[in-house]
Amino acid sequence: MAGKSGRTIANVPEKSLKKTVLCWEGMLVILFIVINLFCGGISPSYQFANVLREMPKYLTEMFLLFPMAFILILGEIDISVGASVCLAATFTCMASNQGLPFGAVILVCLLTGVACGFINGLILTRFQELPPMIVTLGTQIVFRGIAEIALGSGGSVSLSNADGFRKIAGKAGIVPYILFVVILMAVLYSVVLAKTTFGRSVYAIGSNRMAAYYSGIPVQKIRLIIYTVTGFMAGLAALFLTSVLYGANTTTGNGFEMDAIAMAVFGGISTSGGKGRLFGGILSGFTIICLRIGLGQINMNPQLILIILGILLISAVLIPNISAKLKLKKKAA
Amino acid sequence: MKENKSILKKITGSREASLLIVLVVLCVVISMRSPSFLTLKSISDMLKNNAVIMIMTLGMLGVLLVGGIDISITSTLALSGMTAGMLVKYGIVENTFLLFVIAVAIGGLCGFLAGLIISKGKVLPIIATMGFMYIYRGLAYIVANSQWASAEDLGAFKEFALGSVFGINNVIIVLVICYAVFFVVMKWTKTGRMVYAVGSNREAAGISGINTSSVELMVYTVMGTLAGLCGALAVSIYSSAQPNMLYGREMDVIAACVIGGVSMTGGRGSVAGALLGSLILAIIAKALPLVGIEAIAQNTVKGVIILAVIVLNVITQRVMDKNNLKGREM
Repeated sequence: MAGKSGRTIANVPEKSLKKTVLCWEGMLVILFIVINLFCGGISPSYQFANVLREMPKYLTEMFLLFPMAFILILGEIDISVGASVCLAATFTCMASNQGLPFGAVILVCLLTGVACGFINGLILTRFQELPPMIVTLGTQIVFRGIAEIALGSGGSVSLSNADGFRKIAGKAGIVPYILFVVILMAVLYSVVLAKTTFGRSVYAIGSNRMAAYYSGIPVQKIRLIIYTVTGFMAGLAALFLTSVLYGANTTTGNGFEMDAIAMAVFGGISTSGGKGRLFGGILSGFTIICLRIGLGQINMNPQLILIILGILLISAVLIPNISAKLKLKKKAA
Repeated sequence: MKENKSILKKITGSREASLLIVLVVLCVVISMRSPSFLTLKSISDMLKNNAVIMIMTLGMLGVLLVGGIDISITSTLALSGMTAGMLVKYGIVENTFLLFVIAVAIGGLCGFLAGLIISKGKVLPIIATMGFMYIYRGLAYIVANSQWASAEDLGAFKEFALGSVFGINNVIIVLVICYAVFFVVMKWTKTGRMVYAVGSNREAAGISGINTSSVELMVYTVMGTLAGLCGALAVSIYSSAQPNMLYGREMDVIAACVIGGVSMTGGRGSVAGALLGSLILAIIAKALPLVGIEAIAQNTVKGVIILAVIVLNVITQRVMDKNNLKGREM
């Protein structure tokens, strides 16, 4: 029964119910349900329609999660996405206020994002010795700096004509359009990551870059593509963010990069590269969004929510590490 | 001819030397444009205003040397500074020295916790400190309880940053002491060498009998302690305590280290480099308005300079490697 790869059918790991529930994604599903029950318990207005109404504000960060997952699996990091969102949102508002047709405004938004991502990718692939953290730190300051120059002394811009953006912020029934876009993107990115050669190459680069290079994977090309796509998604996030906020200022998108990374890490994607599934990231993203909406509804201090998120983030990584250590000890004993 | 080459080699061979040249050139250019720059008062003002970033750069040097990173430092700073500010505001503690001790202790505890999670729990530094960044900043807001301490509330505490000994501002004295202690420890003591050893090759360091996780824990605790000290200093210097103090400035600290030639992968970097890196950043921030660049464009220029410096670093490294190879061929 040996196949081409020498793997027999009996070697395919069994998918027992226990394993499905106990894997990280299974735990996240349970946590998602628990958090929803908890929020429903503490807040009487935590109902399906209300949650959907509040969701668009938080969903913009989900756009950044997808490409961030790719970058983390590569073993890299991009902390400039928040600034890219800020720059794209600024240019979008300005383009719209110039009276450009809405199609052109969207184009400006996405192109700004793509340009930001492409610059990151270009520097990182031309100077491969540079750590991504430092390069994106530099570009983060530059992107936000350009937005500051564009915004001028007032530091903010608001839309004078929001017709087009209102259409984007619309709803089909009670479901906002943005949720459809997020789900579409989620499916698209999951399939690319799990089922295509491109996705497998990303994992290969993340687990061992040298080995990937010598086995003929175009490492630098893939990195450039991923960083550019990250920029594109930042543009998309800026577009939807503008449709919620009707304006932009110098602090737009502050901390988005950290939130996106936190969602991904909480979803079991390792920042050291090569590990994790997008499905986990998406689950954890929705879990965090639901928790935020629920706690926000009972008027909990937003800073307290930050503390809870921080503790969740650390324990999400700490608990598996400790349990692995305990298991090792048990084996040794 | 030969002598020329060796001088050139010396300059390109040592990162600190090339940084020093950059620093001197910067100073000369700026003082030509604006003669008021190189006065004692202007320099001491600059040092005072950047003391917080410069001191934290030292802690970050240690953290980066063992191959870690700490982005929770400004949150630690806000928590300890805010606590000190609130204690003064409500008149619980008036003694300046005691307030400094409290702030340092809080900072040390914060750093110790982060270090514990990173060294014993084997959580990646960026993730752990990102979590603590949220937690400590949140705690700072809770300590503040939607209040803030203004100059009137701070009373005698703000006098510390105004006072001076032998004509030198107290803040600058603290700054110099920190740098002196770090210089000696990193260069000539066993502890300093252990940090370098862990950073350059953790396994080898472990096999040769160094307790690598303790070294890691120590580095993060020192970082937290310095951040706590800076919390008290910042409250005193700016004579106000707000929970959003220095939000996002941890990136400046990391940038100062990187400009100073500290490697992000660990093992490479020096106190002199950290000093030069943070000085260059401070001078640039001070000089931009003097040479007529508007305040609005300052961040962009700063970012471009950071990018330019790191790209230049890579290029010089490549040239150095090439020269070394050539030397071997001959």
